[in-house]
Amino acid sequence: MSWRERWHAHTARSMEHAMFVPLYRTRARRRLLVATGATGLLVMWADAVVSWYIAPSDTAVTVNFVLLTVALVCYLPSVTTLNAATRGLASLPERRLDERQVAERLRAYTVANTLMRLILTLVVALVLASMWGDGPAARVPGAAIALGLIAVWLTHLVLPLLVAGWRLPDPPPDDDDRDDHDDHHQAGDQAGVA
Amino acid sequence: MAEEPVFNRIAVLRADRGVSRRDLAAALGVHYQTVGYLERGEYSPSLHLALRIAEFFEVPVEVVFSLKPFPKLGSTL
Repeated sequence: MSWRERWHAHTARSMEHAMFVPLYRTRARRRLLVATGATGLLVMWADAVVSWYIAPSDTAVTVNFVLLTVALVCYLPSVTTLNAATRGLASLPERRLDERQVAERLRAYTVANTLMRLILTLVVALVLASMWGDGPAARVPGAAIALGLIAVWLTHLVLPLLVAGWRLPDPPPDDDDRDDHDDHHQAGDQAGVA
Repeated sequence: MAEEPVFNRIAVLRADRGVSRRDLAAALGVHYQTVGYLERGEYSPSLHLALRIAEFFEVPVEVVFSLKPFPKLGSTL
């Protein structure tokens, strides 16, 4: 088994267990996590824009460090928790997901693709508008290009997870006690999919 | 296009047979949360999964799934 397979198997096993449940128990909390992750991405984009105007300089280095720290503080906990909430919907290979998860992942990717297209269109329009003429913004520092590319890559990477987290319905109870409890309540009921 | 409702009695059958969600999920090869979403009516299974669920409970598929609401227990007595 390759290291990649071992990693996926380890991740899939981890996703079987409920982790950080209080952080994503309600839809409002999950959407707050999505907002936090999106804030991390926005700060990455802001870092690229700031670098465009003030790099290269000592101030730019300091500002980059502060903004990247803020971005990571927002990004890492929210993405980790959303991965746990979605049970690896956006991170596991398709063969490790069941049909419901695959269908939900396809919906998330479709929405994320549309959002990414809008973001890229907006970015291209803003960059072209900013570079119009001979002003100081017409010269793009290498740091801004690098940070902009990282922001594009991260946005493309995490957008499906944010969409999946935003759409996620309340999960069914995990523990067996609750499972048994539900049995008594649902035994006489029936479910309908709308 | 809005999905048409599909009603199911998975929770009833599972409680009747004393099978946990995890056991049913393992037998079907799906995530145990998927069983929960099925029972709550928040996911409509593929034909293949529907047939496998019926096969697991050893009943015809129309006993588990229906396009119309199932009659309440006792209403036909």
